[in-house]
Amino acid sequence: MLRFLTRRIAIMIPLIIGITFISFAAMSLIPGNFVANLALDPRISPRVLKQMEAEFGLDQPLMLRYARWLWGIAHLRLGVSLAYRVDVIHLIGPRVLNTVILALSSMALTWLLAIPIGIIVAVRQNSMLDRTLSFLSFLGMSVPAFFLAFLAIDFALWSGWFPIGQTMSPDYASLDLWSRIADRADHLILPTLVLGLAGVASLMRLMRSQILEIKNADYVRTARAKGLPESTVLYKHVLRNALNPFVTMAGYSLADLLGGAALVESVMNLQGLGLLLLNAVMKRDVPLVMGSVLMGTVLLLLGNLLADMALVAVDPRVNFTTLETQ
Amino acid sequence: MADTDSGSRGRRLAFVAIAAAVATAICGCRVSRPRNDHAATQTLYDSMVSDPGTFNPVLVTDSASAVATGDMFESLTRVNPRTTLFEPGLAQSWKFSDGDKTLTFHLRHDVKWSDGAPFTARDVLFTMRVIYDPKIPNSMVSAMMIDGKPIAVSAPDDYTVVARLPRPFAPILSSMQFAILPAHALAGAYEAGRFNRIWGIDTPPDRLIGLGAFLMTRYVPAQLIAYRRNPDYWMRDEHGAPLPRLKGEVHLIVPDQNAQYLQFQSGMTDVYHPRPEEVWPLEQAAKRLDITVRKVGIDTGSLFFAFNRNPRHYVRGGVVDPRLKWFTDVNFMRALAHAVDKQGMIDLCYRGLAVPAVSDVSPENKIYHNPNLKDYDYDLEEAAQILDRAGYRMIRPGVRGDPEGHPLVFRLTTNTGVPVRDQMCAIFKQDLQQLGITVNYRPLDFITLVKALDSSFDWDCVLIGFTGTIEPNDASDFLRSSGNLHIWDPAQPKPATPWEAQIDHLMDEGTMVVDPYKRAPYYWQIQQILHDQLPIIETVRAVTYIAYRNTLENYYPTVWGFYHPEWIEFRAQ
Repeated sequence: MLRFLTRRIAIMIPLIIGITFISFAAMSLIPGNFVANLALDPRISPRVLKQMEAEFGLDQPLMLRYARWLWGIAHLRLGVSLAYRVDVIHLIGPRVLNTVILALSSMALTWLLAIPIGIIVAVRQNSMLDRTLSFLSFLGMSVPAFFLAFLAIDFALWSGWFPIGQTMSPDYASLDLWSRIADRADHLILPTLVLGLAGVASLMRLMRSQILEIKNADYVRTARAKGLPESTVLYKHVLRNALNPFVTMAGYSLADLLGGAALVESVMNLQGLGLLLLNAVMKRDVPLVMGSVLMGTVLLLLGNLLADMALVAVDPRVNFTTLETQ
Repeated sequence: MADTDSGSRGRRLAFVAIAAAVATAICGCRVSRPRNDHAATQTLYDSMVSDPGTFNPVLVTDSASAVATGDMFESLTRVNPRTTLFEPGLAQSWKFSDGDKTLTFHLRHDVKWSDGAPFTARDVLFTMRVIYDPKIPNSMVSAMMIDGKPIAVSAPDDYTVVARLPRPFAPILSSMQFAILPAHALAGAYEAGRFNRIWGIDTPPDRLIGLGAFLMTRYVPAQLIAYRRNPDYWMRDEHGAPLPRLKGEVHLIVPDQNAQYLQFQSGMTDVYHPRPEEVWPLEQAAKRLDITVRKVGIDTGSLFFAFNRNPRHYVRGGVVDPRLKWFTDVNFMRALAHAVDKQGMIDLCYRGLAVPAVSDVSPENKIYHNPNLKDYDYDLEEAAQILDRAGYRMIRPGVRGDPEGHPLVFRLTTNTGVPVRDQMCAIFKQDLQQLGITVNYRPLDFITLVKALDSSFDWDCVLIGFTGTIEPNDASDFLRSSGNLHIWDPAQPKPATPWEAQIDHLMDEGTMVVDPYKRAPYYWQIQQILHDQLPIIETVRAVTYIAYRNTLENYYPTVWGFYHPEWIEFRAQ
């Protein structure tokens, strides 16, 4: 296992360098740089723009700028944002927290709904219940999440039951710990529903087809032949094997956590990473964009690694040696 | 068997229990606490679209930072938004002497920084030193250079500042409107070369030393900025009671305008700047929401079609592109001016809430706006006649050509992301199509557009807007032929046309006269020249509205800022 880990981590380094270099070069190849944001402001003279370019090092060649950035990363410094003049980590940090809380809660909702529903519709294949739930899930899949977000906000305004956007109340700082948790949760309900419901359909369909496929496998027939009750066959033999692809999927979704909810975040005003990143790209705030890209890359790679390790734990057919030779 | 059976039943029970727990958790999370009462706490809630970039007033280049720092710092002079004339700020009076070449400010004696230190002339001198420092890029310095030289200032005593000018310079009062920094708190960091990183948005608010009406208490990134009233603020009302009357202010950071709109309706914020399409629904709901919807005024900026007259782009290898000839032909431009359907733009793009723009200076700039200009009426027939007379005749059905037979085709662009500009370009394109002129419209993202305008010069026609200020010399970079924002042909070594030379001359003369009413005619004349020569064609100006709670008193917003903001309060209930 140690050998496996060292090998995988060693492979990550050139991957990260490759991905970040391509992003860095792409950001530098689009015409204009951060200073151009200010060029149409009559109060700022071209001389001042030149000074700012020099201050931020934007007048240096691409390779030198990238090398400098990489040198900072090697020393665990993400650099200073051009638009905000503070360390990138200071900007990304609080927003990552918002995004991760939202993504985790909506993921939990999705899984809590999708897996039981998937099982039910698979067991009752082609029944009225299967048809109804499948119809509803497709409906959920075909309504775009941002549109659902608009509906949710409108509902909140009409009913007055839920706060309208934001991730916390303005008086959050004056609350005690429990009220803070309650306040956060209060603001989380609608976004969680919006994001969570959208994901139910595809997961549920996957669960359904997995179970249907395994239900007729040889070892399931053997289990039934042994005289095991149907529920034991279902939960111990079918379900355990049906869950394997979900372990791998969970690893990938770790990276999705960071950028996946940008539209909903924007509509429901949730102050996550998505909007920050979008504005940073439009303003050519290179250190800020690169900081987010790096974070996404690392999370994706780590997620894959964790998923592989979890797969070893749940699937006796897979071990570290087979993973390595793949 | 029995074992497994009970096991699965147990699991089913557990599942039901978890589902029930989740359901109760979701319902239980509804927080029932008293609604945050803005009137009882005298705290005004409004929203802003983005996070500030800095809390250091000298480094501010974006509007969010300007809002965030605006109430914490002050300048020597301020503008009365109703008269657009200067009023005392931290300077209680000032005087021009020595043929308008010396300006003496007498500072207030009763002003304290929030850490208790007195405000003195030393702070003014320090701030100017910082602004003039070439290592500190800032937006104040260009307005403070007279013929390329800095203003020499001295402080004969703690409460007097004397500025000596190389020549009379009328914009000086406007130039001196920079926020004063506390020398005692920042001089050390400045000397150590750390000024550009000082007072960033990661600074704890209690370390920001201000002297304005409000002091920052809290900044939560992407959430809000909160302020409390400054108990030592120097201003008093007519009864001698301390100002400001509000106890606090909160700016919620809400990037999405739809969300802002809903939050205002739900009572989370007390103030909202509606878009044109929201004005009518808000007026309808005014009674139910207990709000007032009031017209604020006409946009202070200028939104216009500019035409490229830059030979650096159109003359290649001795060959002159025909487009340069069209755009420098005043007859061609007059025809185009008659083809701009301003009323159509107002009705379609602004729901009727806009007015035609005639001059590049907004009518809200009461002294410097030239009211005598006569607009080019929207009249496609007249436009066609002008084109015919000038030799631009139809060469094929639906295609008009120039006197040399080139078909009239040019490109039109604007920046992406502003729906109103898209629609205005579409209207202009359609009208020109009727005249037989083909317009290829393609919007560009802002930075790409800026690069086309200021370095590659690869553009034909652009719909673009500039913000407006009261001081007419602030537009110097746009009006002067040497200016970088002289958009139709920037940074000319010497004026390309006699009328551009005349504008340059008028700009010079206009800065020599200190009395605003005697100064105005110079700028009226410049507006007349632009109106006649048409390097740009003005379009329309939005009429802005504001909606606010009826419980707010003394709430007088104007396009130039608030009238007496210190008097704003919630009515006692």
